[in-house]
Amino acid sequence: MDTAEIEAKVIQFIATKVENLDASTINRSSKFEELGLDSMDTIQLLFDAEDAFGINFDSEEAKGFSTVGDIVSYIETHQPSAAPQ
Amino acid sequence: MRVVVTGMGVVSPIGIGVDQFWSAAVNGVSGIKRITSFDASSRRSQIAGEVADFDPSTFLSQKYIEQTDRFTQLALLAARLALEDAGGLDAYESRRIGVSIGSGMGGFSTFESSALRKFRSQPVPPFTVPRTMANSAAAWIAIRHGFKGMNLTSSTACSSGANAIGAALDLLRAGRADVVVAGGAEACVLPLTINGFEILHALTTTSNDNPTGASRPFAKGRDGFVMGEGAGILILEKEEQARHRGAKIYAELAGYGQACDATHIVMPDMEGQIAAMQEAIRDAGMEPDSIEHINAHATSTPLGDTVETRAIKNLFGARAADIAISATKSMVGHSIGASAAIGSIATIMALHTGTIHPTINLDEADPECDLDYTPNVAQKRSVRTGLCNAFGFGGNNASILFTTLA
Repeated sequence: MDTAEIEAKVIQFIATKVENLDASTINRSSKFEELGLDSMDTIQLLFDAEDAFGINFDSEEAKGFSTVGDIVSYIETHQPSAAPQ
Repeated sequence: MRVVVTGMGVVSPIGIGVDQFWSAAVNGVSGIKRITSFDASSRRSQIAGEVADFDPSTFLSQKYIEQTDRFTQLALLAARLALEDAGGLDAYESRRIGVSIGSGMGGFSTFESSALRKFRSQPVPPFTVPRTMANSAAAWIAIRHGFKGMNLTSSTACSSGANAIGAALDLLRAGRADVVVAGGAEACVLPLTINGFEILHALTTTSNDNPTGASRPFAKGRDGFVMGEGAGILILEKEEQARHRGAKIYAELAGYGQACDATHIVMPDMEGQIAAMQEAIRDAGMEPDSIEHINAHATSTPLGDTVETRAIKNLFGARAADIAISATKSMVGHSIGASAAIGSIATIMALHTGTIHPTINLDEADPECDLDYTPNVAQKRSVRTGLCNAFGFGGNNASILFTTLA
């Protein structure tokens, strides 16, 4: 996936996880707290994202995440290499 | 000062809401079926009383569901129903509204699923601890409704619900709260928990092909209890304030007794059971002669039902035969920390409606169980006083006494 694709998928994913949140209001620089997520909500979001995107967030690194873009960048640099089908 | 019951909410294998529950109970409907929440086909015990049609998404947001264990969700629904029944508690200041909930296992559903993930080297869900902790049901009831007073949890195994209701009575009498949301919740139809009770030979294993006939308190040949789940919540207020706000009053919570066997961690002891019932009656300023109904602990274990029968005969003497006894667990199974809260609602409904629900599956009684257990068919009987018994692991015996107000 390229950056734009990951970004779109992450935004879509967040919109499904957070109630009353329209995907069109989320962008790469949106801060979690602006989306109504407290620290525990964010941890839960990342936990669910691991399953959804098939990756594992390094917990120390994930502690520093504050924006949607942080998730996008992490997935981009850690996405599983294309495996043979 | 009298403490009265002004609202009730129940979530059980035979119905959600008091109307559905009571109608099923009076008609002797069994809620025991083959387990659906996990594959139990290779277990010795494959049946349970599950709340099959419970769907938390009908009343909780996705966020609530993610952050709560099933026992909390059952408690939240029962609390909502009880609060609606009581007409809301807007008349009270939030700091004066207490919550007192019992649960034997707490969020064990979360514990079991998170432990499984851990053993499989999968990440552990973030809400594992806040979902598992025993006080999470009480905490979420407070959060959901803004109840900022005393918030307590009793975890005394099978007597948890009774201790929670008893503790609520104490809080109201001590002036620590003006109203208390009290009861019990349990959701332990779970692979590990059921296994744990199997190992103790506590569960029936001979009725997997006849689930509705499996829970048979006081019956000849009974061989253990059936696991259940559910929640029961009462709204308890001081009579004067309840009347002042125009609340309907179901019954008085007149007395509470608690006694510890201090003998064995799981075996019942007659003396402790007698002491608990005696103390509840004394606490209400009454005499044993005035007890007309008992909602028995009666789990359907060979020893437990016999010991409870002996305790009743010892305490009430020749009058024991005149007491209308019934065993709610014959229909819903044993919902551990919720059982006495659900049993309390059955007791209150017996007083309120003048009907004693039956003990089902009682075609032939154990010769050692020779009292009037209301076998198989409900009885019309106007009773004014009812004890609800709850005896738990840890040698914990609790008994609560409800009376009509007349």
